[in-house]
Amino acid sequence: MNVLEIADLHMSFRNNKVLRGLNMEIPENSVFGFVGRNGAGKTTTMKIVLGLLKAQCGFVKVCGEEVRYGATRTNRHIGYLPDVPEFYGYMKPMEYLRLCGEITGLSSALIKDRSRELLELVGLDGVNRKISGFSRGMKQRLGIAQALLNEPRLLICDEPTSALDPIGRRQILDILSAMRGKTTVVFSTHILSDVESICDRIAVLEQGELVLSGTLAEIQKQHRRNSYHIRFASDGEAEEFSQTEELKREGVELEREGCSLTISVSDVSVGAQELIDLLSRKSMAPERFEVLEPTLESLFTEVVQ
Amino acid sequence: MSHFLVFVKKELVEYVRTYKLLILLVVFIIFGIMNPLVAKLTPELLTSFMPEGMFVTIPEPTALDSWAQFFKNTQQMGLIVLLLVFSGVLGTELTKGTLINLLTKGLSRQAVVLAKYTAMVLVWTLSVVVSAMLTWIYTVYLFPDGPMGYLFVAIFCMWLFGVFLLALLLASATMVRGNYGGLLLTGLALVILMVVNIFPEAHTYNPLSLGAKNMSLVSGTVDPSSLYAAMVVSTLAICGLLFLSVLVFQKKEL
Repeated sequence: MNVLEIADLHMSFRNNKVLRGLNMEIPENSVFGFVGRNGAGKTTTMKIVLGLLKAQCGFVKVCGEEVRYGATRTNRHIGYLPDVPEFYGYMKPMEYLRLCGEITGLSSALIKDRSRELLELVGLDGVNRKISGFSRGMKQRLGIAQALLNEPRLLICDEPTSALDPIGRRQILDILSAMRGKTTVVFSTHILSDVESICDRIAVLEQGELVLSGTLAEIQKQHRRNSYHIRFASDGEAEEFSQTEELKREGVELEREGCSLTISVSDVSVGAQELIDLLSRKSMAPERFEVLEPTLESLFTEVVQ
Repeated sequence: MSHFLVFVKKELVEYVRTYKLLILLVVFIIFGIMNPLVAKLTPELLTSFMPEGMFVTIPEPTALDSWAQFFKNTQQMGLIVLLLVFSGVLGTELTKGTLINLLTKGLSRQAVVLAKYTAMVLVWTLSVVVSAMLTWIYTVYLFPDGPMGYLFVAIFCMWLFGVFLLALLLASATMVRGNYGGLLLTGLALVILMVVNIFPEAHTYNPLSLGAKNMSLVSGTVDPSSLYAAMVVSTLAICGLLFLSVLVFQKKEL
């Protein structure tokens, strides 16, 4: 079942078209990376899903229920972590979670139990001071705790790691990764390594349209180009192999750097086996032969340029 | 607990912990104590500042002077302090983004508006009651000169005017962004009411009249019935402003 369905979503701010017919479906219990440049429309999409912004066209369904702008009914299925979560600085973490729990309609006993459990999960158990004295990382972790309080079916995180130091970032990624299988996580970011490390599905948004979507493996398969990296024992061997007649043809690109040679092939007749045969015929034994997989970064750069 | 009650509780806790309640209570307690004292000491102070050889006959102060001080202080400085303290009632939350978490938890926007208004009215009511009680106690002690005319009606009218101003402030805050935008719009609305008051026919209905006849009511020279129309108009205006606030806030993009 799809937890989130977005169909033909259009949105403009004055003359600036932010979303141009966005379509997206997110299956239950996946960790979904929503990738795009700054200004690509990620936050706008999330705010429309939360009923905080009104789309000019299209619809959004959360757990099968249509989202209505200004109303909060569908938000009972959602936990939301903004990029910079803001809290009432005069409150302590337990008090803030109690306020959230009361709004969600949980019983006092359940609020107490869930709050303790979640503060422990995010490493804030035993922190009994006012939120105004919290660091950014602590606020982000408290933000995750409040977002998970109502055991949401959909957890939306808007660039949760963009302003954190490496340790804070790792902590947040570990917490989100631990949610896999328990809830659906939609995780917007422009830090591609974060997406690669925890997401099982990815969508790339560019100028308000989805330009790439699927699992990382699917995307890599779709955009695979035959690229190989061969490292020789010496620069001379690399130079000699690069001059091979069979490689001097259309569809084959060679790039030599010292004793390393990168071969990109669009001609399917030249595969790994053909290259190994060529090496064998020339009695060359490379130190390393590697089939290069496209990285998310290279794919992202390719589709947004 | 309903969203409304949860949010009223949150607002009251906020007023206590951010010292807003303390500031207002201190100001209104000072007024309450000072009103009768100033009335009592004014003739003596004036006499002491007179040049030597000059004699002026100053009438003996009465309880009326004490209540005149009460209405003057509360309606001028009191209301200004009240509006300043609550100037960021919605703007601060919208600018900082503290409401986002709660709205995405299902908190209704209507509950936010109505709870904020209720909490402000509660604080205003407490401030007026404390100040009036202190003024009354000291007035009875210093000027035991008999009963007042329509004192409670006069205090009620002043309270109602404050309640109207708070509704105006909240409605303004939903319409403009920033902490002081709402305050400016409220000021503008008051200026319009003052301009309208130039026409004598408007006096009967203008909410400003609620604060203009306090001492006439206390001295018994004006009948409360002359203010009924202004009371009804103010109450309707309060309901209208609250309805407008909810409507505007429901449609506000956050």
